[in-house]
Amino acid sequence: MKLLPLTEPVLLVLLSLAEQPRHGYSILKDVERMSDGDIVLSTGTLYGALRRLLDQGWIERFEEKENSRDRRAYRLTSRGRRNLQLEIERMKHLIKLAALRSARQGA
Amino acid sequence: MSLLTLYRGLLYLYPSGYRREYGEEMSAVFREVEQDAADHGYAPCAAFCAREILGLLSGALREHLGGATPSWIPFRRFAMRPEFRFPRSTIFMMLALLAAVVLAIAEAESVQAKYSHATGSAWLPMVSILGYMLVVMCAAAVVWAILFALRRSGAHRLANLQAGDERSPVAACER
Repeated sequence: MKLLPLTEPVLLVLLSLAEQPRHGYSILKDVERMSDGDIVLSTGTLYGALRRLLDQGWIERFEEKENSRDRRAYRLTSRGRRNLQLEIERMKHLIKLAALRSARQGA
Repeated sequence: MSLLTLYRGLLYLYPSGYRREYGEEMSAVFREVEQDAADHGYAPCAAFCAREILGLLSGALREHLGGATPSWIPFRRFAMRPEFRFPRSTIFMMLALLAAVVLAIAEAESVQAKYSHATGSAWLPMVSILGYMLVVMCAAAVVWAILFALRRSGAHRLANLQAGDERSPVAACER
């Protein structure tokens, strides 16, 4: 089953959760901040992605106590972290390849 | 009608299981984002509304399709389900429609041959062909609807259980 490459919004959601567990609103804001406002997710898009990531065991959900109320938050699982690392390695390889090719063209 | 009421109404486009699982949480997040957008003026608020409505419509479609998303919907590459099994009832419907079109073409040719030298109304053959197509398509749609309803009712799972499935009912229902 081919999972990679991820789309940019999903990659940003995973990166957001890689730093620390977050709830839905916090993920939306962090994705917006990381992309300099280029990617603003709707709640429908965000929760569609979260549902698929939960189904695949890349993230998990837990109850977080915040301001005396329970709130659902999400965090990366070890599988999610491993797959995120794979994607980062893939991107690094791609950038290296791009640098090599463009340098060859310039020479 | 407030935006939140509209949002909650649009959530009914999602499958009921999804709505039960995420509906409240999505509404709570929507409320927070709505407050942010309202603080930034009219244009961000309008953009927010458009984004949310489109997001809900495409999200609901994606959930109903079970991950098999068209290319114009974001997250297509992240459709992580191993395969999308096309419903058999839909295949039947498509075949029935194809048969209807083929039969209509054949009928059209015969009607054209019959009326080629006639001097009567030119609309008569057309009405005949359209009526023929309509009847066949309606019949196909009815059969498809019956198959779809049976599928949704879970009758096939019940039949599997009655056929002596050795697994537990829970396991059989989870398939």
